[in-house]
Amino acid sequence: MQPASHFLPVRAGIGLRAQHYEQVLEMLPPLGWVEVHSENFFEGGAALHTLIKVRENYPVSLHGVGMGLASPGPIDHQHLSALKRLCDRVQPAAVSEHLCWNSTGEFVVNDLLPFPYTRASLSHVSVRVEQVQEKIGRRLLIENLSSYLSFARSEMSEGEFLAELAKSTGCGILFDVNNLYVNSKNLGVDPESFIRALPSNAVMEYHLAGHSVRDGCLVDTHSDRVCNEVWDLYRLALQQVGNRPTLIEWDNDTPDLSVLLEEAGIAQSHMEHRHDSMV
Amino acid sequence: MTAWFEDVLEFGNAIRNNDAMSGGIGPNYPIGTALEIYRNNYRGNLQGALGLAYPVIRQLVGDEFFRMMAIMHIESRPSKSGNLHDYGAELSKFLASFPNAQELPYLPEIAKLEWACHMAYFAADIEPIDIVLLASIAPENQDRLRFLLNPACRIVRSSFPIVDIWQAHQPGMPEDFLIDLDSGPQIALVNRRNDVVRVEALSLPESAWLEEIESGATLWDATAVVLENHPDFDLESHLVNWIEQEILVDFDHEAKEN
Repeated sequence: MQPASHFLPVRAGIGLRAQHYEQVLEMLPPLGWVEVHSENFFEGGAALHTLIKVRENYPVSLHGVGMGLASPGPIDHQHLSALKRLCDRVQPAAVSEHLCWNSTGEFVVNDLLPFPYTRASLSHVSVRVEQVQEKIGRRLLIENLSSYLSFARSEMSEGEFLAELAKSTGCGILFDVNNLYVNSKNLGVDPESFIRALPSNAVMEYHLAGHSVRDGCLVDTHSDRVCNEVWDLYRLALQQVGNRPTLIEWDNDTPDLSVLLEEAGIAQSHMEHRHDSMV
Repeated sequence: MTAWFEDVLEFGNAIRNNDAMSGGIGPNYPIGTALEIYRNNYRGNLQGALGLAYPVIRQLVGDEFFRMMAIMHIESRPSKSGNLHDYGAELSKFLASFPNAQELPYLPEIAKLEWACHMAYFAADIEPIDIVLLASIAPENQDRLRFLLNPACRIVRSSFPIVDIWQAHQPGMPEDFLIDLDSGPQIALVNRRNDVVRVEALSLPESAWLEEIESGATLWDATAVVLENHPDFDLESHLVNWIEQEILVDFDHEAKEN
């Protein structure tokens, strides 16, 4: 294996899903990096061995969907240890999780669930982020959520919460632009104040994805091309925050690899144009 | 309890138990719409996990039955892990008492076999046995060797021909097959080698020997137990085969040092 590259390149990458493993390894398309869901590679076997081959050709970002950083109970140490072993095997260029909870202590909801943004929840999540960072020995990136409801008890916005979390734990922020767009439509979140709230130097990665609409509600299904409004928001983020490694995510009704590469190409060209205008 | 925890628990119960939720704020659509999205995601994700882990059960009962069974399973057995691949370990137990499945009495045992395969797929990687080191063990110490089974290895006993049923439902197998359900019991050995999960049938003495080894018996003790009931058991040929097949993957260090 190559020596670990500790940073993602400031280029566009794609979320790599099982149906494209073989093609990517065969074609080796000119991608900056790839991202996979951590839990699909826990322990050993065929999936992990494919990922290790991918890692020989691209920087890999491990994106977790199961840690439940804001769950009320103690952190799941078995889950955390499995993530640690995966990091040791793959030597990822980034490791990320979502700003969400998934366990009541009685049962787990295998989804990304929002919670009230309060001082108390901030200190709870901070402790757990520190536990994860200590265990895996690296900075964790935390992603903003797409939510379909919010809480009367919240004392701050999600953007402010993330900014505080980054300040208190040193974690990075994974800014999902589609999630912000979904929240702006569903919950009335103001995208510009969200972006303003984020400390630019803590933002380490962008996500871009498509969504769908159900009963007037935008649902973050990762099942379509990035829409124009999200591209606009992305350009705004590039201006305000700067260029960062950018991922095209597509998890359902996944199209040909060429479509993903096309979307990644658009993101790449937005970054390059932003760069041109700065020179 | 911290106040925000209460919101989280209320939200969780609204998703899993269809309870009402007072702490959530309805956005530009009714809060019920939001909760329905979460409920659908919750059930859909667990149904998807069951479908991935149990492809043979799914073929045996059909999509519609499988969907109904999955919904009832989710109702009675919640997820306990943030890793979706951990969901469904108890499907065999569930099926054993599932009234609608009593006509297919082999289902729980097929489910047990499929879960063993699912576990094998994700089991930790191992190095094959060190043959040179093994060969260097002095003959007088060989009887005291304690072998270790591959962590992907599982033995599943059934009163039905589960290996034949499982094989017939693998991708690429012909669709017209005939399995005599009364053809007697089968013992399945699940293992993974070169990243491929394999299922094969074991004879009674083979399974007895491997189970002795699994429970920590020495080579001598395991073989003595099996020979008592099966005087024809040919250890040597099995040993070579099981090492080659990476079913035996290590032996204890005490023996290595001696």
